[in-house]
Amino acid sequence: MVAPLYTTDSGLLFHAGKILVVTVGLPARGKTHISRALERYLRWAGVKTQVISLGDYRRKILGGAQKLPSDYFTLGEKSPETMALRRRIQDGCEQQIWDFFHAGGQVVIYDANNGSVAQRQRVGTKFDKEGVHIIMLESICDDPKIVERNIRSVKISSPDYRGWDPDKAVEDYYGRIRGHEKHYETVDELTWPFIRIINVGEKIMVNDIRGYLQSRIVFFLMNIHNKYRTIYFARADADLSPTGWEYAERLKDFVLERRAKSLQQRGIDPKTNRLVIWTSARRRAHHTAWPFIAAADPRTPGGPQCSVKVIEKPQMSEINPGVWDGLSPDEAKKFYPEEWARFVKDPYSFRAPRAESYHDLSVRLEPTLLELERVQEDLLIIGHASVIRCLLAYLIGLPASEIPAIEVARGDLLEVVPASYGVHSQAYHFWDGPGRKLGDHDTMAEKNETNFYENYAEDTKGKRRIGQEEESAV
Amino acid sequence: MAEQNPTSPVRPAFQLELQDLDLVDNALATQNKETTPVHSLEIGTRPTPFGAGGPIRLASQASTPPRSVVGIGGKVAKPDYSEAKIVLAMVGLPARGKSYLSNKLMRYLQWLEYDVKVFNVGQLRRSRAKQKKEQSGVKEDHTASYFSHNNVEATRLRDALAEDSLEMLINWLKAGGNVGIHDATNSTRARRAKIEARVAKEKGIVVIFLESVCDDPAIIAANVALKVSSGDPDYKDTSPEDAKRDFIRRIKEYEAVYETITEPHLSYLRITNVGNQATACRIHGYLQSRIAFYLMNLHLKPRSIFFSRHGESQFNVEGKIGGDSPLSERGLRYASALPDLIKDNIGDAPLTVWTSTLQRTIQTGQHLSYTKLTWKSLDELDAGVCDGMTYEEIEQAYPEDFANRDEDKFNYRYRGGESYRDVVIRLEPVIMELERQDNILIIGHQAILRCLYAYFHNLPQADLPYIKIPLHTVIKLTPKAYGCDEERYTLPIGAVDTHRPKPKAPQPEVKAYSGREYYDGNA
Repeated sequence: MVAPLYTTDSGLLFHAGKILVVTVGLPARGKTHISRALERYLRWAGVKTQVISLGDYRRKILGGAQKLPSDYFTLGEKSPETMALRRRIQDGCEQQIWDFFHAGGQVVIYDANNGSVAQRQRVGTKFDKEGVHIIMLESICDDPKIVERNIRSVKISSPDYRGWDPDKAVEDYYGRIRGHEKHYETVDELTWPFIRIINVGEKIMVNDIRGYLQSRIVFFLMNIHNKYRTIYFARADADLSPTGWEYAERLKDFVLERRAKSLQQRGIDPKTNRLVIWTSARRRAHHTAWPFIAAADPRTPGGPQCSVKVIEKPQMSEINPGVWDGLSPDEAKKFYPEEWARFVKDPYSFRAPRAESYHDLSVRLEPTLLELERVQEDLLIIGHASVIRCLLAYLIGLPASEIPAIEVARGDLLEVVPASYGVHSQAYHFWDGPGRKLGDHDTMAEKNETNFYENYAEDTKGKRRIGQEEESAV
Repeated sequence: MAEQNPTSPVRPAFQLELQDLDLVDNALATQNKETTPVHSLEIGTRPTPFGAGGPIRLASQASTPPRSVVGIGGKVAKPDYSEAKIVLAMVGLPARGKSYLSNKLMRYLQWLEYDVKVFNVGQLRRSRAKQKKEQSGVKEDHTASYFSHNNVEATRLRDALAEDSLEMLINWLKAGGNVGIHDATNSTRARRAKIEARVAKEKGIVVIFLESVCDDPAIIAANVALKVSSGDPDYKDTSPEDAKRDFIRRIKEYEAVYETITEPHLSYLRITNVGNQATACRIHGYLQSRIAFYLMNLHLKPRSIFFSRHGESQFNVEGKIGGDSPLSERGLRYASALPDLIKDNIGDAPLTVWTSTLQRTIQTGQHLSYTKLTWKSLDELDAGVCDGMTYEEIEQAYPEDFANRDEDKFNYRYRGGESYRDVVIRLEPVIMELERQDNILIIGHQAILRCLYAYFHNLPQADLPYIKIPLHTVIKLTPKAYGCDEERYTLPIGAVDTHRPKPKAPQPEVKAYSGREYYDGNA
């Protein structure tokens, strides 16, 4: 996102050099989750970043665990054949790291266990010799619940356990962890700069972490967690007209229904599990949340339908259209032909007179993004299309240039579930009132929206549609 | 040393013994040598200082402009920080760099336009005692015995002072501040629990503790030396020798009751040896993480930062702004003379040269034989459509704009270009890198160096665009515990003056200041 300003002769950013983040930790400590989240954030910031996972590489080359020799995961004595096999996998995987660096990459997150001082010394020395900065990133959990949750939600769905009974798989996985525990050495050595994360972000310790990019990594890691949650997005559209109220009412019914389904599957009561709602400070956005507040009222006949907390966020105000405020695209084109041409050429970075560009908006939303990472409950964001586009692009990992073209239609609910290997996103259509379709400008859209940026993607037959059963490849 | 293990018991705090006095002596000797007054600055006196960190002021004096601003270039509002309200309570023994960290952090956050103020309990104590002495003639005893936890009466008084200063801090936050730094020892669990309970009563205000741990005798000795040599009124009529002894006894009084932070529910940061190791526990949220982010990059190694503008360029001669023109003949002479000036100053010490990507800075550094790095983010403020015009041409073509810019230069953004605020934001990564480096020479541009200079001297945003950074002059900044020392070397090579004073207003007074404040500004 900030890339052009800080790119140096070497093609890398901030004169920070190449950085290898080596993950350290027992299995099921959230290493992969942390690695992927960090990769997403750094990419959003414009840093060429890649997670390279030893486990994924091994599965790609050799297939699932059932095809491995029985002593592959047990530490200690191994047969010479197994040793050679492990060596081959390690070398092949590390070759991929070099390939990425040589192709201009700046940060590699090497996702593997690296549980012994000797292993870390080997990998550290190997890359340090070539001028790569090393950071050991250790993840420790002293909360057994986090470990169990990781195993159940991530590990047993891996190809290693295809066709297994879940409880048997969990038991087997604990066995694998015990094998590692015997030989595990926590990062105490001060040889390399390190970051130690305890319970996925609750506590962080660092040694000798310096410089903008390296500290930025720590900065981000302070704000993450890996609890299961769903983030919903919908446009704000309740003016005080009957259609507006209908929209808000339908949104409430639909979200509650979707949520109930998802929560019940996990054995959670949807009536008491709280939903957090963020709205911008615009009255229209806040009004859209009113039906939720009414439904959560304990005086509701038959008891409250849900539990919600509504938070108004002034930082989520729409993109500032500057002198283009109140103009239709046609008018903008007519009165500002020069600017319009530049805007169409690069809608992400073009800044109209006294306006914000999408780039400015992304920068403004960074604190909101970090807060989004931090929220542990289910979250519904009722916002302006421009804001939703920026937040979605971050979560899904879309390049900045695509942000202005992300379609956020009225009457669609976008659902995003962060998972270890990326996010699942899906769009649901819940409402068909006026203003949803293109060319509906004489109705609701016109009354509410004098900022054409908000409908730009839709009016130009949006090029990027999020979610139709799409699982993003992050 | 790093934390051994998250679950292992905490190591005993480092104990300073009286035999470590030698270290103090050495540090003192070095310091006295270092602080021999260098030639003084010619740029006027600084406004009345306040607090450990400098003058009292709101973070941004640059006003938020009305929407009805006319002309083509706009003024851009300050970001909304109204939601950020944090009490940052320091924890640590005396001479562990608490005030240093408070002060640095305040400068950084103020530069980013947060409202920050340090509430130093020591200052409040001295000010109140001074007042008492003036009114009643009774001089309170503030030697080490005052700081003993066995001295019941004094302990009660000190507790009351810490509480008063916390109340002042909370009131200030409620009145619109963002980060109030409670600069006190806060060395026991009981004291921290009190702070926590008090802040919990305030909706929307959070507390984080910042513990400064130091087990490097050299750093502690240097801090003790600074304390007794810098005119601390606690030791006004005391010989340096006695002052040292008394101060070390004071530290020992604190050590006797000191409890490092182990409370698992607290939100805290622990910085060991000024940034080598850090622990962040339950630190969540943008501003909180940002604070941790910054503190990790500090170090205390002595070093200097040199600023130089590029030599005079052809555009300078023609009175044009922006562009990417080569140096003038006089500018080239400056480039040739620069290596000797630098060499005379730092000898064989290592140095890295940073330039922008524009050819006038690269040309200026061409004869320097040090490692050179170019930063796009050091490029001059982008004047958008006005790039390559003279001020007269701009005034003629865009008269309203011209007036706008004069009225509020910090917020004014050229059409298709940048404002000073935009530049500050883009320079943040550079500042962060600068904090961790050793000796650096930055060959830059007028607006860029103004922003960097304002950061090191903690100058208000409204004055920032009027700081004088003349051509063919090297400015040397040496960071000290409470500010930066400054020297300027002007080479006798003529150049045009590109400084435009603020119309119809006095030139803001700027003076380097690195001393420590011992009294509360209200006293």
